[in-house]
Amino acid sequence: MLTKLFPRPGRDIGFPLVGVAMLLALLVGGGTLYQTILGGGAPERLVTVMLIDAIIVIGIQIYIGNTGVLSFGHIGFGAVAGYVFATIAITPAEKLKRIPDAPFGLVDVDASPYVAIAAAVVVALIGAFILGIGLARSGAESGAVAATVITLALLFVTHEVARNWPDLTGGDRAGLAFEIGGKLDDRLPIIVTLAIALILARLYATSRSGRLAIAAREDNLAARAMGVNPLVQQMVALLLSVGVVAVGSSLRVWHAGSILPNQFFFDYALLTLVMLIVGGRNSVTGAVVGVIVMTAGREFARRMGQDGFEFFGIGLDEAPLDWVFRENLQTVFLGVSMLAFMIWRPVGILDDWELDSWLRRRFSSGDEPKPEPLPELDDYAHQTLEARDIHMQFGGFTALTDARIDATTGQIVGIIGPNGAGKTTFVNVLTGVITPTGGSFSIDGKDLTGIASYRLARHGLVRTFQNLRLFGSLTVRENVEVAALVANDHRTERTRRDTDSLIAEAGLWEHRDRRARELDYGNSRRLELARAAAMAPSFLLLDEPTSGMSDSESLEMVEQVRHMAATIGAGVIVIDHDLGFITGISDVIFAFDTGRVIATGTPEQVQADPLVRAAYLGGSAPA
Amino acid sequence: MTELAQNLIDGLGRGSIYALLALGVAVIFGVMHLLNFAHGEMITVSGYASLWALNAGWSWWLVAPLILVVSVVTSLVIERVAFSRVRGASDFTLLLTSFGVHFVVSAVFLLYVSASVKNFSRPSWISSSTWAIGSLRIETFDTVVILVTIVTLVATTLLLQRTMFGLALRAAAADFDTARLMGVKSDSVIRGAFALSGLLAGIAGVFWLMRAGSTTPSAGIDPMLKAVLAALIGGLGSLRGAVIGGFVLGIAEVLLRSWLPDSIAGLTEGVVFALIAVLFIFRPGGIITVATAERV
Amino acid sequence: MLEVSGLTTRYGSISALREANLSVGAGEVVGLIGPNGAGKTTLLGTIAGLLSPDEGTVTFEGDDVTRSAPEKLLRAGIALVPEHRRIFVDLTCEENLRIGAITVPKSDRPALLEEMAETFPVLRDKWTTPAGYLSGGEAQQLAIARALMSKPKLLMMDEPSLGLAPVLVDVVFELIENLRSQGRTLLIVEQNAARMLAVADRAYVLRSGEVVAEGSGKELSARSDLFDTFVGG
Repeated sequence: MLTKLFPRPGRDIGFPLVGVAMLLALLVGGGTLYQTILGGGAPERLVTVMLIDAIIVIGIQIYIGNTGVLSFGHIGFGAVAGYVFATIAITPAEKLKRIPDAPFGLVDVDASPYVAIAAAVVVALIGAFILGIGLARSGAESGAVAATVITLALLFVTHEVARNWPDLTGGDRAGLAFEIGGKLDDRLPIIVTLAIALILARLYATSRSGRLAIAAREDNLAARAMGVNPLVQQMVALLLSVGVVAVGSSLRVWHAGSILPNQFFFDYALLTLVMLIVGGRNSVTGAVVGVIVMTAGREFARRMGQDGFEFFGIGLDEAPLDWVFRENLQTVFLGVSMLAFMIWRPVGILDDWELDSWLRRRFSSGDEPKPEPLPELDDYAHQTLEARDIHMQFGGFTALTDARIDATTGQIVGIIGPNGAGKTTFVNVLTGVITPTGGSFSIDGKDLTGIASYRLARHGLVRTFQNLRLFGSLTVRENVEVAALVANDHRTERTRRDTDSLIAEAGLWEHRDRRARELDYGNSRRLELARAAAMAPSFLLLDEPTSGMSDSESLEMVEQVRHMAATIGAGVIVIDHDLGFITGISDVIFAFDTGRVIATGTPEQVQADPLVRAAYLGGSAPA
Repeated sequence: MTELAQNLIDGLGRGSIYALLALGVAVIFGVMHLLNFAHGEMITVSGYASLWALNAGWSWWLVAPLILVVSVVTSLVIERVAFSRVRGASDFTLLLTSFGVHFVVSAVFLLYVSASVKNFSRPSWISSSTWAIGSLRIETFDTVVILVTIVTLVATTLLLQRTMFGLALRAAAADFDTARLMGVKSDSVIRGAFALSGLLAGIAGVFWLMRAGSTTPSAGIDPMLKAVLAALIGGLGSLRGAVIGGFVLGIAEVLLRSWLPDSIAGLTEGVVFALIAVLFIFRPGGIITVATAERV
Repeated sequence: MLEVSGLTTRYGSISALREANLSVGAGEVVGLIGPNGAGKTTLLGTIAGLLSPDEGTVTFEGDDVTRSAPEKLLRAGIALVPEHRRIFVDLTCEENLRIGAITVPKSDRPALLEEMAETFPVLRDKWTTPAGYLSGGEAQQLAIARALMSKPKLLMMDEPSLGLAPVLVDVVFELIENLRSQGRTLLIVEQNAARMLAVADRAYVLRSGEVVAEGSGKELSARSDLFDTFVGG
């Protein structure tokens, strides 16, 4: 069970926990040091606020970092949680004074703050679930505008409701407040929550769901082609993140002793966002660093803006310096930071560097034995793929007419044809990227027409892409692992090869811990192949695997593809313009031109076919 | 029936301003693929400029052109300082850059003026003057707004359809790279787009400020939201859609306010946002979808 | 007129173009043929300034124009009819042509428009129709006319016969013949090797990003191993 969630427990649980401990020490220790050196109430409050902000920012990171969807709505959930917490935790006496007409009998509710926090989380999660469905429906993916707008609308809706429902929230001016003494003055709950938040954030990212979400973030289309359903993973990330934000927001209200609508609105949303962006949204360490840097920076800016502040003996109160160093400097600091980072370092200070990943690379024993070469499979269930009468119409343009193919596991089928012949469109149909306007295809008689990409991948139709689509910031291992994680759940009837063995088979063993985007072109193509193979497919559909390769590299590819397919017992359908490659690798070739099959047969037969020669060279075919 | 007509006219009045704002956002999106969350800052800056001018004794007849000039200049400055450096960046980066600009501008005013609301005098005919058709009472203000908007939209259409600049803008919005192949200078067309956007924001800003009679550092949020939401409702990428979206938003606001029971009338804005969220859930491309194919 | 030397363009780690050399003399019609994915579009795109080469130089009329912006190159006299035509579908035919003439003095434009209407009579009927309604063949003619509006010294075309029915392919090559007899300088990428070689003065064969053969149109079409050159090995 554990290995289902965490493929390699040492890497996925052990090191992250060590990293979390260190980050916690950094935050708490650093803060305690600061407040001890400076002494007094203000530094102590600053540190407490920083720790609470950290919880919330880490919560937001769980969603934005792992899905790539920019959300403003989390602070809206913070508002919801904050009000639920306040209306339950505040003593009935206080409530009677401020919100005597509160609905749901809240005035009489008298519960401990911890119960209130639990209630806040529950309500927030219900809201998050509904939002999650809405986001899924709108097609949320990294960079999607609609999703951001929906979350922005949520932020404004909660704000408007809070302002205009004084019976429940005390409205805009009065707000809700605790009786003196009801505020949180003990740091322990905050530190415990922070520790839990850090653990959840790291363990989610290393878990199966987190990995699949990150893959979808890197390349949504490729993730779906590997059988990942991004919407499910995004929902998990959303629920987890809103849960953390809900607890953090409750603590924020508890610590402040009051809640006003403006405290959970645009300004705070932007503040938490800037902290996350500056540190590096794709890493938890980045979130922590961002919180520390921005808190320190703001505080410094605030002080510099105060009267009487001296910087190495230079007073900042006289002109012209006082033109910059004046009150409210910290807000400018915030805005300028955001802008500066977007212009000069959009990925943030740490990009996606994680402390525990670095520790692991430094201190793990490192000498892993190279896996044994994989044997070719002799004994496996043979399957046949059949496509008939495939018709594809785009508006007035007919891309495919009566397109067809027959393929069997263990066989390599090539598809050739000039540019615009419809080859990629055909593969798009077979892998669910588009639904054909006519015709059907099936594996062993099971009709698969019109099924979504990720389902087709789970049924055994896995593809690579003409324009390379790797999960760039993931390592070679992590790329292949994504497919393996899906295969372990959905491809159990086939022989699944071990991730490391496939990587070694593809000649990538020395690069196994390098990021995919750092690989050279040939290795990138081989990684795509290994990743597809890890899905234990029945049929590998390769779209121009040698595009951009030199002749010698193409020749190597022939062997690689053939051998890889043989180790997993898959059939291969390969499109390529490189006729040398195709004729060298295929058992059977289907030649396409203007959307239909014009010839089929062995490579020798097809190469000699006058229709094929004419299609490639132009001019008129002999009568 | 009269009430409905009354509401429609009120809605058109509001919608006119939103339409102009949304058009400004759509123009920029067309050429740069940037959703300008800093669009409201033209109004913030203009607001403070008006404050200064009115306090110095200028009449509104001079303040109105001042607002136009300030708007255009602000727009061009923002392009130069911020947006020119993120051309071609990811959608995520572009979104956050425009938020960053909003943040900086409002922070600067917070720093150098104050957080408090600053009032200035509005022209007297705003609130007092009305005229009547039958039982309908129409505010002169609304009439002026609608008329000016119509004139502006006509002028903008002429600019886009009849001038070389407009042609270059439309071509660049359709296919930026191919437009460059035809000789369209990318710098010129982008700056032109920002200037046009600034001018449209300025015209809308004149009426917005006349009606508001005050300004604060965060005055830009509201017009920005209306602009962005209206442009999105109409379908990002469509200029026509943005204008339609603006009118739809204005009318929807007024109708909702009159239909909602008095006790929660204050929630009108909230309901509008909620409805927009629902719209995007089911039609993420807006009402008028501009289809884009994905290259596999 | 045009000299390309050692041009290498990479997409990330892909070498789409490796040390490509070619030259086009004034008044010549030069063809670029080869299988798809060979780098032909990359080559034209690099010359036209849409792509930045990693190594090599492009010289036009003696000036080094490597890495110049497309709008500057157009003003220098290089026009490109892009792959898939890329006409502005929401603009009318006339507007498409006008945009093509943006670098030409205003007073010259009416005469140019008239000239295009004469040379491409099918467009005259669709003068005020949005270009999105044009058929493939008409769109190709519009794209070529649009490029001609800038009075280029060198006209480059990327796969002009792509996706066109055989009879329309004839029209395209007839057009190329006419342009050739007007003394224009053309550099044309074509998949239809046979037709291209018939009309070209010289041609280059590209495969896997490298120039693997060059010669006059006649020489290359006489080669019986042309298909094999495409196939390799």
